[in-house]
Amino acid sequence: MERMAAQKPLELILARNLLTSISTPAFLVDQDAALVFYNEAAGALLGRSFEDVGRMSPEDWTSTYGPFKANGQPVELDELPTTRAVRDGRPAHAVFTIRSANGGKQEIESSAFPIVASEEGSSGAMIFFWPHDRSGRASP
Amino acid sequence: MRLKVWGARGSVPAPGPEMNRYGGNTSCVEITLASGEHIILDAGTGIRTLGLDLTSSPHVNILLTHLHLDHIQGLMFFPPCFRADADITIWGPASPEASLEDRVARYISAPLSPVEVRELPCDVSFRDTPPSEWQLGSATIRCEAINHRGPTLGFRITDGDTTLCYIPDHEPALGTVLADNEPEWISGYDLARDADLLIHDCQYADDEYPLHVGWGHSGMTDSLTFASRVGAQRLLLFHHDPLHADGFLDDLHAAARRRWAELGGDSASVEMAREGAVLDVEPVAAPAGISGA
Repeated sequence: MERMAAQKPLELILARNLLTSISTPAFLVDQDAALVFYNEAAGALLGRSFEDVGRMSPEDWTSTYGPFKANGQPVELDELPTTRAVRDGRPAHAVFTIRSANGGKQEIESSAFPIVASEEGSSGAMIFFWPHDRSGRASP
Repeated sequence: MRLKVWGARGSVPAPGPEMNRYGGNTSCVEITLASGEHIILDAGTGIRTLGLDLTSSPHVNILLTHLHLDHIQGLMFFPPCFRADADITIWGPASPEASLEDRVARYISAPLSPVEVRELPCDVSFRDTPPSEWQLGSATIRCEAINHRGPTLGFRITDGDTTLCYIPDHEPALGTVLADNEPEWISGYDLARDADLLIHDCQYADDEYPLHVGWGHSGMTDSLTFASRVGAQRLLLFHHDPLHADGFLDDLHAAARRRWAELGGDSASVEMAREGAVLDVEPVAAPAGISGA
């Protein structure tokens, strides 16, 4: 027998398995908006693998990676697409700047999708990232 | 607890002389609690013969893991359904789409059936499984959603100091590596942890599984790895593929025992579900299970 943290709901387990299998950078947050996983592609973007950092509270991951507004100010937790997806159970999209582990900054677009499996509401969200396309075209 | 297997086959009934020893009926397991009450796990075609065995004025609880046909097909032929003195409670996964009764009635209704649920003479009720533990007789029941195609539950049944876990349709290795994954990220882990007996999906041999990834079932090594990770004391491999005749299942059983021993377990604690088999489930003193393999 192994010690374990609280069992994750099945929908988060399946979401993590999906994110593990794709090359689009992506985060997975739980119902408290805590970062519970990000995939290898996100790790490459951020400069650190998830295995190196582990679970992070919303305050921890926003202070580590951002995001920041165009004027350089941190985006408030309440304004994050992640927060809106988890809180409101609605998808959200935003453009902002993130900071990688080596201090480099990158402008990205992010889309957050709530994960809803019961009437009790969202049990988390998946957040996908793309480099921001200034041409206005849809990013690949 | 005493367990009797009335159907161990998956997908579709597989009758025939080459299937005689393991049986051709689909999923159905009867649990007799220490208090003498009965719980029926799934209503595959095995439940028909189980029903012939029940005494007068039966009060039965049927726990459905999900509504795929191989888990409900026997309901319409369950003799107590046609007895006015029978009291039947059917528990199953909730759905926002329709009630459990309405979903089961898609099968027990025209044109698939000559009778409708409302015409059954028994007293039948349908209950969504609750999100928290509940009691049936002397047993505490808990269920959780597990990884299969469509909404599917596994059940954990604790009677006194004995715990049985029933996960007949399960693909915990889909999209992940079971041996390396953290426990909280393994489908069904918390449900099955430290069970005295785990009844688990083993539909495929290892060389068959790659052709069936995503079908919701497990290959043999994944079944054993899951059992090993959760620390199951004893493992009953279940939900045999309808193409697997007795000789094939004998070979699969031998391979499973060898693999279990390689994982550090007692090969005698891995069994193959066989129609008609009766098992007494008792608490097994630690550290009989494999820990952290």
